[in-house]
Parts: sequence; structure tokens; C-alpha cells
Amino acid sequence: MLLEVKNLKVKGNGKEILKGVDLKINSGEVQAFLGPNASGKSTLVQVILGNPKYKVIKGKIFFAGKEITKLLPEKRVKLGLALAWQTPPAVKGVKLSQLLEKISQRKDLQFEEGKGLLERETNVDFSGGEKKISELLQILALKPKLVIFDEIDSGLDLKKLEKVSKIIKKELVAKGVSVLLITHSGAILQFLKPKITNVMVDGRVICKEKDFRKVLKTIKKYGYEKCKKCKLLAN
Amino acid sequence: MKNVKNVNYWQIDHRVKQIFERKGAVILPSPTAWEKFKWSRAYFERKPKEGYFVWIKKQVDFPLTTCITIASPKISQDLTNLLVIEKGITVKADVICNAAKNNLCGTHKARGKLLLKDNASLEYNHLHRWGKKDFVSPDYEFILGENSRLVYTYKNLFPPESLQLKTTIRGGKNSSSNLNFIINGLNSRIEVKDTLFLEGKNSQGTIKLKLVGRKNSQLMAKSSIIAKTLGRGHLDCRGLLVDKNSTISLIPELICQSKDAQITHEASIGKISEEELNYLRQRGLSEEEAINLIVTGFLELGE
Repeated sequence: MLLEVKNLKVKGNGKEILKGVDLKINSGEVQAFLGPNASGKSTLVQVILGNPKYKVIKGKIFFAGKEITKLLPEKRVKLGLALAWQTPPAVKGVKLSQLLEKISQRKDLQFEEGKGLLERETNVDFSGGEKKISELLQILALKPKLVIFDEIDSGLDLKKLEKVSKIIKKELVAKGVSVLLITHSGAILQFLKPKITNVMVDGRVICKEKDFRKVLKTIKKYGYEKCKKCKLLAN
Repeated sequence: MKNVKNVNYWQIDHRVKQIFERKGAVILPSPTAWEKFKWSRAYFERKPKEGYFVWIKKQVDFPLTTCITIASPKISQDLTNLLVIEKGITVKADVICNAAKNNLCGTHKARGKLLLKDNASLEYNHLHRWGKKDFVSPDYEFILGENSRLVYTYKNLFPPESLQLKTTIRGGKNSSSNLNFIINGLNSRIEVKDTLFLEGKNSQGTIKLKLVGRKNSQLMAKSSIIAKTLGRGHLDCRGLLVDKNSTISLIPELICQSKDAQITHEASIGKISEEELNYLRQRGLSEEEAINLIVTGFLELGE
């Protein structure tokens, strides 16, 4: 087991957002997390990465055999956790090449797609697609064991999405890195074919299903609100 | 310091360690210049105790380098410097003032005039590296002749306990001046006062000021542009507060004494964004490393 989240309850701004979440990801596994807006998906990944904005009120997080619930974000990253942000903030005055130099855990990073971004200030005036490439580049530089992609498919057309998926496959999945895809639309799932697809609604995981197509079909047919009544509920 | 052999004037404590005079330039201790060149007295105002006199008479092909160092405990320097650049000459100057150690409790007081005659051009890089307990108060006046150009950059990489930095620019006809101040506060009390007088017709200038307040620092900056005639000026003051025990006060002032002048300003003080900090920590940087990178980025902005 690489990542295990046990009965996680989390508050943010005084409001309970996660209401008892369980998750297990093995080494080399691809999983997905689907859910409507404001269901708690992004909160879950921020808490896994240690964002101090959120308060864990119950439950534990384990990574690579170590409890990390109270560990500093940078120490979690050193253990091999990485998150590609949905909307990364601008780091003004800092070129992407400077940032990569600071964070890089590898010397052999070759990535044609990101070359044009290296001399630009990190995430400043980047288009949606450029942000995704910049995030990928940074993630690859970290040499992670598990990468969480928060809505990597949002704002990308099908062609670009396929291209990004190919990079994820080649650079991560094929090398045994675990991947957790957080997605609202589910568009990326057809390219990366997750082993398990989780559905989160209102701070709870209400479905764990092996066939992502069934989940997508159900959501398309009934919407997330009716997901709770779905017969595909695995647990 | 690298290439000490090339330093044109180097003073350690009160002692002149080295003068390296080169073709086209006269370099002397200020008291000697006071005796030797009667005309210099108009600029020195009173007989100097210590400091340097540099007179660039002909075009030079080297960067002028001066270094004033405090190397002994409790030294109190009282410098008067004079730099004169003759007509049409272009000069680059690297001016370093520093303390050799962090705990010398020194005082560095410097007054100076920098005279750019008509069509002269000066790129002046003023670099400070002080110890934690030093008291530093430079007061420089740049007098710009007709069509002269000044690019002035001040950086304090290691701030002293107290810094009072006063800079005055007097821009002559068609002159231009571009001033950049990068001020770090680290357990420091810092007062910056810079004034740009647009005195000659069509003179123009910009002042860019960036201040970073860290670890119980109090920073105050008063920047003024005073337009006496047709001219253009812009003032840009930005502050970044890093910790909750620091304060930054920015006082931009524009005084327009001519209906033909155009002077503008912008000023802002911000803090470190929590989101940005968290983002960088999620890239494996410690909180301190992340703050340092954000501060570096802030100081690089617009450079």
C-alpha cells in the first residue's frame, strides 16, 4: 500500500468539508476521483499534501508506510507525494527555469513541450494548456512515487488532453508511479483507464467501481445527485 | 572581494589601503584633493576628513571601482566623496560599502556629490553589505548637466541595524535619470529619502523603489519628484511585508511647479500570498526557502 487515507474528517473555514473519507492506492496503480463541484475533491488532495489551511479533525493519512497526517507539506513531497494544481498561482519574478532548478530532484529532465515556458515567469499569463505543461514539468522534476492531478483535463481540448495523457503514461505510469486523477468531467479517464474510480459527493466517497465507463455512463444518465441511489455502489 | 587589484580606491576603517589610478582618471583621498584643487572646495563645502575624490577627465575604458570597508570594531567613518565626470564622458561605477564582519558595531557616515557635466553618462551601482549592528547614513547628491544620463541602482544585500539613505538628484536641461532602490530590512530601522528635482527644461526621471520588511523591521520611504519646469517623472514604490512584526511606510510625493510638467506615481504594499507559499512548499521547498524565492521574485520584478 502506497497511500492510505482512513476515515478522514476535515474542516475548512469552520465548516466540515470531508466527512469520513477512505482511500487506498497501491504502487503503480491509477485511480480516479469523480465528483460534482464543491464535493470536497480538491480539499482532499490539499489535505493529503498538507495544506495548513485545512484542519484534520479525525482520521489518519499514511504514505509509504509512514503516518503523515501532521507532516509539513515539504516533507511529504520529499517522501514522494506530488500534486499538479488545477489553478496554480503566479510566482511573479521567478522564471520557471529558476523554480525547476530549486526543486529538481533529477538532472536528466528533458521535456520538449515545456521549453518555451522556461524563461517566462512561473504561471504568469500562462494559458490553460501552458499551466498544465508547467505543472507536469515540475512534477516530473520531483521524481515522485504518487502524483495527484487535480482537474488536469479542465480547459483542455481533446487533442491536448490526449497529448498530456500520453506524457503521463510514458513518464509516470510506465515507470511504476501511482496516479490519482481528480476530475469533474471524467474526460481524461478514457486515455488513462483507472483501475478504480471513486465518486465523491458532499464530502463522502459514495462509490468505488472498477469499470470507469459504467460510472461515467451512470453520471451522464442520472447526474451526481442520483449517484447515491446507483446500483453500482461497490461498497 | 574579487579582483582587489582593480579597485581604484579602497579604504579600510580610516586608512587608505589602495589607490589604483588609471589613464583618464585622477583619484585621490578627499583631504588631498581639497588641498590640491581649489575648485573642488565649492563641492566639498568644508574640509573633508576622509573619503575619495575621483575626477574623470577623459574617456576611460575600465569600470571605476571603489570600496569602503569597516574591518575593526566600533569604527566611526565620516566620509566626504566627490566624483566629477567631464563633458561627454561615459562611466560605469561599482561602489561597494561593507563591513568585513557581522558584529563590528561600526558607523558609516558618507556625504557626497556626483557631478555629471554636459553630455556625460554614468551607470552607478551602489552595493551595501553590512553587519547586524552597524549604523549607516549615506547622503548623496547627483548634479546632472545638460543632456547627461544617470542610471543609479542601490542594493543593500545585508542590511545594517540602522540605515538612513538620502539621495538627491538635480536634473538639468534634457537630462535623464533612472533610479532603482532595492532595500531589504532584516531586524532593521530604515529611512529612505530620495528626491528628484526636474530643474532643466525637458528633464525626465523615474524612481523605482522596492522594500522588503523581514524580521521586526521598520521601513519608511519618502520619495519625491519636484518638477520646476517642463519635464516628465514617474515614481513607483512597492513594499512587501514578510512578517507580522515589520512595518513599511511609503510616502510618495509629487510637486508640480509647472503646468507643462507631467509627473505620476504608483505605490503599493503587499504581503506574501498564503496560496503561493503553500504552492512552493508543495514543490518541496521549506517555508523559509519559499519565502526567499518569493522575495527574490519580488525584487526581480520589472528589472
